Amino acid sequence: MTAAVSSAPLSFARRYRARNVVVALIIVLVLGLLWVLAPNFFKINNLINILVQAATLAVMAVGMSVVMIGGGIDLSLPFSAAVSAVLGAMYMRATGGVVVGSLIMLASATAIGFLNGVAVGYLGMIPFVVTLAMMSITAGSAVWLTNSISISHLPPEFISFFRMRLAGLPIPVIAGISVCAIAAFLMSRSVFARQLYAVGSNRRAATIARISTNRVLLTSYAAAGISAGIAAIMLTGRLASASANLASPSMVLDVVSACVIGGVSIYGGAGKVWGAALGALFITLLSNALNAAEVSLYVSQMIRGAIIIAFIAFDRFSAVGG
Amino acid sequence: MRAISKAFPGVVALDRAELRASFGRVTALVGANGAGKSTLMNILGGIVVRDSGEILVAGAEVALRTPIESLQAGIGFVQQELNSLPTMSISENIFIDAFPLKFGGIDYRECNRRSQVLLQRLGAKLDPSATVGELSVGDRQLVEIARALRRDPKLLIFDEPTSSLSRRERERLFEVIRGLRTEGVAIIYISHFLDEIFEISDDLVVMRNGRTVFSGEISSLNERELVRHMMGARENEAPLQKRRPADATELLRIESLSRGDVLKDVTLTLKAGEVVGLWGLLGAGRTELLRAIVGLDPIDKGVLSWNEAGRTMAIRPAELYRRAGFVTEDRRGEGLFLGMSVGDNIVMPNLRDISRLGLVRGNEQRRAAGAMITRLGIKVSAQEQKVSTLSGGNQQKVVFARWLASAPKLLLLDEPTRGLDVDAKTEILRLVNELADAGTAVLLVSSELEELTRACDRYLVIIRGQIVAELPAGATREELVNALSLTAGQEVAA
Repeated sequence: MTAAVSSAPLSFARRYRARNVVVALIIVLVLGLLWVLAPNFFKINNLINILVQAATLAVMAVGMSVVMIGGGIDLSLPFSAAVSAVLGAMYMRATGGVVVGSLIMLASATAIGFLNGVAVGYLGMIPFVVTLAMMSITAGSAVWLTNSISISHLPPEFISFFRMRLAGLPIPVIAGISVCAIAAFLMSRSVFARQLYAVGSNRRAATIARISTNRVLLTSYAAAGISAGIAAIMLTGRLASASANLASPSMVLDVVSACVIGGVSIYGGAGKVWGAALGALFITLLSNALNAAEVSLYVSQMIRGAIIIAFIAFDRFSAVGG
Repeated sequence: MRAISKAFPGVVALDRAELRASFGRVTALVGANGAGKSTLMNILGGIVVRDSGEILVAGAEVALRTPIESLQAGIGFVQQELNSLPTMSISENIFIDAFPLKFGGIDYRECNRRSQVLLQRLGAKLDPSATVGELSVGDRQLVEIARALRRDPKLLIFDEPTSSLSRRERERLFEVIRGLRTEGVAIIYISHFLDEIFEISDDLVVMRNGRTVFSGEISSLNERELVRHMMGARENEAPLQKRRPADATELLRIESLSRGDVLKDVTLTLKAGEVVGLWGLLGAGRTELLRAIVGLDPIDKGVLSWNEAGRTMAIRPAELYRRAGFVTEDRRGEGLFLGMSVGDNIVMPNLRDISRLGLVRGNEQRRAAGAMITRLGIKVSAQEQKVSTLSGGNQQKVVFARWLASAPKLLLLDEPTRGLDVDAKTEILRLVNELADAGTAVLLVSSELEELTRACDRYLVIIRGQIVAELPAGATREELVNALSLTAGQEVAA
């Protein structure tokens, strides 16, 4: 380290490490408690089950982190996944076309992300409000399309594909890891990512630096849309059905908290994609642990909310004077 | 303040600094960037706690561990007008931290009455219920002074109060300061503008490298001696060599460029290799013109023609920006990405040039950034160093480096040396000179005549969005100042 770090109480890098220590400590604490309270938790099937659940959350969290790094937020993301899953599943059930059905899921979620991106990037609308409204639209349309009835009887080859295992790991886990790896690579190396970090950290400076900020923002929301589409395919395959209930407000919270816990700044410009993925694993682990410890769903919700506030507070306080 | 020391990790910001301000006198505090002025003032404000030394207010020692203790000790700061609350009224701004109450609610009548008293004390004819956002910059500054005066401070500190004021507003501010001085308030006046310091202050404290190097009456030294104290032994302000690109090719022609009320029918030409000063007061449309040329603001009408490879063609501002560089006055707000490394900052506008298939090539970046760091002599320990940890001068070099990488034919500079010390200024101006020698056309905006006269080959005078005159390289400072007032006079007459 150079003299560089001296002036700020805690540099970003050091805060980042401090945060990882905190996250690790909480994980160890939770696992230790489980060892005593619910030893069944450590059965291999349960652990794999947790990974499968974490995979979809991680894919959405990766998409969310891309938007957040650009200084925005996409509250509609899980609902966009739900309505896309419904659309694709309806097509699959009607025609049996697995590939086209999946592409429909991907395309419709991307299109929703694109609309968010146009509104935020080109029309200058506030991300929170735009995506909150989009959340209402997507949630409403998913219920309207399905009449709250789950769409099942999907083509068997679609279902069985997601039940396959490679090297002992179910396909959704492998898909999740691949998506995270590709996203992490692109977000560390691509021109787009570099420009996105710049826009998120200082939009005015980015404009002056000849970055087309509106296009960069549009791309970030579209990327979040793609992640919602992938999550839609994974969810539908895993559950062998699609319904409006795939998404819930608490899922929005989980996705955002995965990012926040993973060190993605809610103020934009900072954070890593793999952090968000690990955050998703952490959240899944935590809610399963609370479940295994027979904590009620509502208390579990309270605890998860409190943890996010604790992490944001942690960021705030360690950033003071920095 | 006696023998004040303060060390931050890695740097000694203050080393037994001394400062004395007397009742009924204006004490100017000057020093180059990093001399320790801000730290000293932060200690007075209770924002930073000193390591050692004592502070006496009217003979009594004070601790100043918190901003509140500072207020209680009778120390007041005049914040820059940027800190006002634009959507609220004048009286709300003045009383925002201590509204007079009545029956548990805000007593607006009392609030307005007392605001009126404070404003009258400053000789300001303002309605306390007016919205601050609708006031001129100078009036907002008065509101900030009223806010500081509300607590009847014994000591009032002005930190660079004139940086965004017009000449007339500055004169009025000085009237106010003189009035407060007559009332017996002790005033500390911090400024980079030497002429102001000689105009307004009675005493002078010069700091350099955390120490007080001069303390005494201002009448005991002249401007040149003051600069010598600020800078140490070296002489500065040497004029730079002039080029005379008499018959260089015309690079850019702008015709009848207009934007709302801000720019009116601006027509100008730039030749390759010349430095043209855009001379005018703040708010005359200088920044607006630069922004409009490269498409950062939309324009209503106007034609830009650009000469490239011997051919003249019409060009849109956004296209022009791909061939130009733009250094803004707000280095931290608009220039740099403070959280990013020096290397990342340098390559930002030219990522496409160092990437393949949309991926940035790390080696290319290191090579490109390294070349610029060497060429400009940027002092860094490594390319990965955070740009926020550099000194102002080095930060500004990073901003320049970013544009040099693409070898722009046109460089727009908006107050490129703002907030830099004299050495760093000279280095930046020398760099501008070098670029012009290599054929770049430079349009330079500066509020400092000194700077313009050192660097420019000719001057365009801008008043209220119009180019009203052009002066040759040999124009003296007086001629430039007259160009502004002369035309202003004509306007009044017309």
